Amino acid sequence: MTEVARAGAKGRGTSATEPAVPRWAVPASLALALVGLGLSTYLTIEHFTNPGSLACPVGGAVDCAQVTTSAQSKFLFIPVAVLGIVFFVAMLALCLPTLWRRSDRRLWQARMAVAGLGVLFVIYLIFAELFIIEAFCLWCTAVHLVTFGLFAVVVLATAVADPSPFDRR
Amino acid sequence: MGRVGEPRLTAMAHTARSAARQRAERARLARERAARRARRIRTAWWVVAAAPAFVVLLVLIRVAIPEAPTGGGDGNRQLSSAVIDALRPDPSTLDTVGRGQGVTLPTPITGQPPLTADGKPLVLYVGAEYCPFCASQRWPLAIALSRFGSFTGLTASHSASDDVYPDTATISFHGSTYASEYLAFQGVELNTNERRGRGYAPLDELTPEQEAVMNTYNAPPYVPRAGSIPFLDFGNRFLQTGASVSPELLVGLSHDEIAAEIVSNPNGPVAQAILGSANAFTAALCVLTDGQPGEVCDSPAATAYQAEVGG
Repeated sequence: MTEVARAGAKGRGTSATEPAVPRWAVPASLALALVGLGLSTYLTIEHFTNPGSLACPVGGAVDCAQVTTSAQSKFLFIPVAVLGIVFFVAMLALCLPTLWRRSDRRLWQARMAVAGLGVLFVIYLIFAELFIIEAFCLWCTAVHLVTFGLFAVVVLATAVADPSPFDRR
Repeated sequence: MGRVGEPRLTAMAHTARSAARQRAERARLARERAARRARRIRTAWWVVAAAPAFVVLLVLIRVAIPEAPTGGGDGNRQLSSAVIDALRPDPSTLDTVGRGQGVTLPTPITGQPPLTADGKPLVLYVGAEYCPFCASQRWPLAIALSRFGSFTGLTASHSASDDVYPDTATISFHGSTYASEYLAFQGVELNTNERRGRGYAPLDELTPEQEAVMNTYNAPPYVPRAGSIPFLDFGNRFLQTGASVSPELLVGLSHDEIAAEIVSNPNGPVAQAILGSANAFTAALCVLTDGQPGEVCDSPAATAYQAEVGG
């Protein structure tokens, strides 16, 4: 946790004000964003083609088609799978090594805000699965786990970054 | 000389003190920064842990909430006394109807291991509350089974409002129990009649044994199409998919109106179909019980379909 490095700065000169993030932060955030993007893309394709063809059990507590065809599968008329793509594309961009190196406080705030928004939306979706739809979708659960993971990486990396972009200088 | 050097010494001492103060200040700032960072990291861990903890709390609340009393579809309620009576009609009424009209018979199968439960021949019904063909099928099935034992916990239900033959009045086997010294019965209602997404809310789950029966016998060559409901397996001796009575006959009739047709109008199309089908099922059940009990299996009602059912 305390092992920090100038993100992606190997072999280059680094500024003293450039925040150093943990070595694992950049690859972990990029990998999670890419996995999430892949899962969301699959769910979006299934949403617009044949939701019943998701590789997932049916008829019990785990029933992807029941979840992905429910009223809660859309938010403000937009399929949540599409919102997932938008979220992970945004996170992918915000987690590029070059942006982890920037000390612009607004950038770090934006990264934290988007990750936090993702987690809040995931909590709403889990609530819907538990109390409204009464079924679970394995693919959606995978997306939820990735979102939680990404949030954890962003929050911890931001806290560990030294100097912190949130410190007054 | 000594007096001339004094200010210089004083200035050097001042510079040294100033440098020491700066070093101390830098050290203090570094300590403060380290303390702030440590606080940030502690807070971050709490924030990261809070999200999954909140989800765990939601799951615990969901688990703690009890299921609805019946667990069945929307509006399932207790059977009226008229319906309870109609499910055990007078044997003479059944004898009068005999073969009835508009009845589709179960298909005999041979050479299969007997399907049993608790040492008794097992009748397995798999359907769903939303399904109108299951709705019409339950009436004769419950009547036939009630000649060999008794049900508790049957509820009044109806098929889906947005399917063909909407709101067909029926009973539900969900949550019911059947006691008989001759037969075992398992009624599985896979879904309620409440819309959930593109389908209907799930209700009963098949046990592995029931699933094995479905996979084997609710599939070609035993039935034309795999996985159809309603599905009936009479001890692996007779099979039926689809309804033995058309739900069209029941359109627009309430539970009590159907009950009245069964009890009071044996020559009407509803009683002819439902009681005729119940007699066909009774003949099949008598094959499973080796003709027991005699007062049922030797009756004109039970022997009306003896030739077709092979008893």
